[in-house]
Amino acid sequence: MSYMKIKQWRDSEIEKQESSYDLNAFHDLIMKQVFEAVLKKVKEEAGSPPCQYAWFVMGSAGRFEQAIISDQDHGIVYEEESEESGRYFKNLGKELAFGLNEAGYPYCDGNVMSSNPVWCRSKVSWNDQLAKWLNEESFDSIRYLLIFYDARVLEGEQEYILHLKKHIHDAIKEKPDLLERFLENTIHTKKAVGFFQQFLPETHGSHAGSIDIKQSGFLPYVNAVRLLALKESVKAASTLSRIEALSQLPKYGRELQDYKSGFEKLLHYRHMYHKKMTESYDDIHYLDVKELNKNERKELKQILKDGQKLQDYTQSVIKGMMRR
Amino acid sequence: MEEIIFSLNSVWLVLGALLVILMQGGFILLEAGSTRMKNAGHISGKTVFTFGLASIVFWAVGYGFIFGGNSNFFIGLSDFFYSGEQTGDMPYSTAAFFLFQLAFAGISLTIAFGGFAERAKLSAYLVFAILFSVLVYPVVAHWIWGGGWLAEHGKQDFAGSTVVHLTGAMAAFAATILLKPRIGKFNKNGTVNNIFGHNQVYTALGVIVLWVGWFGFNGGSTFVVDDGFFGFVALNTNIAAGAGAVAALIISWIVLGKSDIPTILNGALAGLVAITASCAFVETWASVVIGFVAGILVFYSVKFFDKLKVDDPIYALSVHGAAGVWGTLSTGLFATPELASVGQPGLFYGGGFSQLGVQAMGVSVSAIYAFAVSFAILYIMKKVMKGLRVSEEEEIIGLDVSEHGNYGYPEAFIANEEKNRIAN
Repeated sequence: MSYMKIKQWRDSEIEKQESSYDLNAFHDLIMKQVFEAVLKKVKEEAGSPPCQYAWFVMGSAGRFEQAIISDQDHGIVYEEESEESGRYFKNLGKELAFGLNEAGYPYCDGNVMSSNPVWCRSKVSWNDQLAKWLNEESFDSIRYLLIFYDARVLEGEQEYILHLKKHIHDAIKEKPDLLERFLENTIHTKKAVGFFQQFLPETHGSHAGSIDIKQSGFLPYVNAVRLLALKESVKAASTLSRIEALSQLPKYGRELQDYKSGFEKLLHYRHMYHKKMTESYDDIHYLDVKELNKNERKELKQILKDGQKLQDYTQSVIKGMMRR
Repeated sequence: MEEIIFSLNSVWLVLGALLVILMQGGFILLEAGSTRMKNAGHISGKTVFTFGLASIVFWAVGYGFIFGGNSNFFIGLSDFFYSGEQTGDMPYSTAAFFLFQLAFAGISLTIAFGGFAERAKLSAYLVFAILFSVLVYPVVAHWIWGGGWLAEHGKQDFAGSTVVHLTGAMAAFAATILLKPRIGKFNKNGTVNNIFGHNQVYTALGVIVLWVGWFGFNGGSTFVVDDGFFGFVALNTNIAAGAGAVAALIISWIVLGKSDIPTILNGALAGLVAITASCAFVETWASVVIGFVAGILVFYSVKFFDKLKVDDPIYALSVHGAAGVWGTLSTGLFATPELASVGQPGLFYGGGFSQLGVQAMGVSVSAIYAFAVSFAILYIMKKVMKGLRVSEEEEIIGLDVSEHGNYGYPEAFIANEEKNRIAN
């Protein structure tokens, strides 16, 4: 299928997806179609891949939490450390970024794409890169590690990513202070419920009156759960499956189950709300509270407050661990 | 002894005048900091030259209209082209008094120009500076301070919440309506954009310069030093400003979930504007209340004008208008029998509603006059001058270059121009 055809297919079907789960399954399908088209094209020009590899997505795609419109975040890891492989996969990465953009996934502002050599490496080189980031502990390297940690393989060798994630887990076991750095990097999110339990919507700009649902809604949950997953060496990438895995551990038990339903509802609200209207990538992060009825508002407020609570809880878990 | 007191009073008045003139510097920092880089040079320069213009007009006719003899309820009619001569048995140098009053007229005009910011033609500033200084400010000042009809009524406005601040704000209001909002302020869907000022440090420094200048503004308005009363006035002034800043911080934190810096700065200024009318008539605890209420009022006032789709770049309508009204009314509530040297005690001191009524009437009439005459002047100017506003292109490139051919921050812009030239 050409990129254009894929885009047409995407546009005609995407509004029909009934739930956030269906939508994300559909996104996976589209992205895999793009990959197939890209691979076909690259094969015609440069032959088959010279070695085994894995193509993985990160960000909301990695977490299986994409909205209707979503930008691209992806990378490649390949087996063989050689100049030939380097050239081949860099080329593949470039075509992937181009193809995804054609199919309706805008380029990533932060350049987290397989076309960027930072995110397209051999296994050995990835090992070195992760070690370097873990060692540096700078603001940027912490951010890159957090982005990488949401990686999920779409095409190729699943275990490559699991293996790389194990590196991170080992590093944390050896140096638990890292968790505190991760915590500090993600703790600052926007408050959306005020002193009098009122919503705190945007006051200026074209989204005035809307809640920044990404900053105030999703991020507190996503960041807190990711942090606990890092601490407990959970391999899953999506927030919901991370909660599920964490709940198996006696120390979290039922504590996290309530947050799971809150997060599911958040996905649901965003999905229902954005299905109703066509919008740009920028709009996807906002939710106009005036569109909600009284019960929905009450529920959303609770979800937003729970997000803050979960963040506080996670903070106390991490800090408590440090003190011991 | 009398001679020494005469000299001390005169020194105090000149010192007051210097502090108030220095407030022009505060306004330059405040206004330039709250607007964009591309207009900074223009804003600074126009403040200096319109103050110069207003000084000459005040000397020629303004002072005579306010304080001249042969006066009627509307204006005075002598002392034009004031020669500096000493009048009668005033306990201070009349020339010092003149300078002090001139400084006030200049402040009112600069407040009015807040409503012009970032889009009015330079020629509009020039013409309005003259007409406002002849037709608007002196009339209200005469009514309240020059023995006009509101003074006879017993209206309390110690240092000019109404005379200086509200009058300026009303002219600013008329200007914002006729000039219309800046490009990009409002969206088609009715939402408001924040056009951020380019330097919050300037804005904050502007507030501090104004805060200090206010001791000349209010303290100087005692005119005399012999009983040390100016100290009490200065004390009230300072705590009201503090209460305004604190109140604004609290309200922005409660309503927005964060302590908003521009709101805090506006709160301090609103406290100062409000206490200007009442600083000599109320007890210290009342000053705290007056400042506190002003700090909250200014926060909601800014929201209110946003809702009305009125673009008020430096919040002149809220800081000087809304707080000016509140400050004027506040004496009707808090003026004490001992301190009410003009008028009567307020509602909370057994004065009933009579002083509050006087204040309400005085503030409304003054506001209506200042607004109506400013609006008429600007309306006619708009017709005669073929518009008050620069062209869209000029507004976008900025008034520094379009009106003056030079940048306030040359290095920031000329490098860009070079780049464009190379790219072309």
